[in-house]
Amino acid sequence: MIAEAALSTAVAGSLLSRWEARLKLPGLLILIFSFAIVQDLRLLAPLIITAALVYYLSGLPLSYLFSRLKLPGFFLLAIAIILPFWSGQSVLWQLGPLALRLEGLLGLLLIATKFIGILTVAVALFATTPLAQVTVALRSLGIPWLLTDLLLFTYRYIFQLARDLQRMRTAARLRGFVGGSLFSLKTLAHITGSMLVRSHAQAERVFQAMALRGYGNTSLPLPAFQPVLLDFLLLSIAVLLATGFVLGQYIF
Amino acid sequence: MHIPDGIIPASVAVSGYAATGGLTWLSLLGIKKQFTNPRNGIPKAALLTAAFFAASLIHIPIPPVSVHLVLSGLMGVMLGWFAFPAILVGLLLQAVMFQHGGLTTLGINACLMGLPALVAASIFRLRYLFGKEKPLPNAILAFIAAFLAVAMGALMAALLLIYAIPVYIDISAERTAVLALSLAHLPIALIEGVFTAMVVLFLLKVQPALLESEKL
Repeated sequence: MIAEAALSTAVAGSLLSRWEARLKLPGLLILIFSFAIVQDLRLLAPLIITAALVYYLSGLPLSYLFSRLKLPGFFLLAIAIILPFWSGQSVLWQLGPLALRLEGLLGLLLIATKFIGILTVAVALFATTPLAQVTVALRSLGIPWLLTDLLLFTYRYIFQLARDLQRMRTAARLRGFVGGSLFSLKTLAHITGSMLVRSHAQAERVFQAMALRGYGNTSLPLPAFQPVLLDFLLLSIAVLLATGFVLGQYIF
Repeated sequence: MHIPDGIIPASVAVSGYAATGGLTWLSLLGIKKQFTNPRNGIPKAALLTAAFFAASLIHIPIPPVSVHLVLSGLMGVMLGWFAFPAILVGLLLQAVMFQHGGLTTLGINACLMGLPALVAASIFRLRYLFGKEKPLPNAILAFIAAFLAVAMGALMAALLLIYAIPVYIDISAERTAVLALSLAHLPIALIEGVFTAMVVLFLLKVQPALLESEKL
């Protein structure tokens, strides 16, 4: 909670957090997809500079980005181990059966830069946009209400269920459950089953309470869309940058 | 099973979104047929999605490593038509909250997990032919559904990764990699099958109504 509060303080007032979500989401998604198109190595420097600029505008500390990159970084490590030694024919350096290849190294550079660029923009986007605003933006982009309702409800329950699961596992450990072998599968299956039964019972109660308050009878209108000039300006810059990457890839 | 951002060409990522759009549309049609007011099914489906999200934090030891459960088969078994939208939402939240998976690859990942989940749902529906209250047919069908869901997802992911990586890898190395990646998932698929069968047997005893996806 403290970390979340610190994060809100860090991004409060930043240009990215003031950008209307209904324009920010399509704008930055277009930019992210233009990053995905890049195959030309000459575009990698502009790509990483653009990602750094977007992150700077979010007002987030650099340490937050590094903490977010930690988990997906393992994937990058796997690629870094495989590609330079398995892909390509131009051998740069050889030690016994191990051969460092040029094409693999360039492939790694391309994948790693795009991966870090896309993640940096995505982290800035979602750290400066609360999920409720993301949902409104998705609805205005034409995503069916069934998906957006499902998204909000799921988000509402994730933390609670993770806590429930943790509590059940602690209770199992207190009763002597070790869980270090395949024989623990049955106990884990029963813990999962119990969690599903409990969740279902709770869902029944929540749904009945919500139905009593009118859920399912009417569709609430989306909050008023009141963009200012700055919102359109930022969208135009994002679209222009994205166009630049597409043109750079396919024309120049 | 999750394909991250930056590794596959943009054309493949866009095709993934198109396929996901189609499958979502198909699922929504199925849901609308099933419910007079589809909104009624959302709170329960969301709670189960969150439950699956939390359950994927459970790690199963396969010496010398431990793997986390995929549960796409169990989602298909329990959620029916809701499985695809639920997986899509679960993957979006994983990408947004943990940077697990990717935004540009969300469509592809949803297909890799969601399509096998729909296949699992169809397989498990065969229990109505063999007796929906009998433990043995339920357990066998749950095993097959979950095993196939993981195996199919892993095979699809392996093929996609090998053929879509935008760098040159020779054909024999490609074949070896596909085979190795698929074989590596075999024990996971087996464990997932056994685990799902155990959960289904538990639910059959405790709350069989939970296995009736059409009564979500």
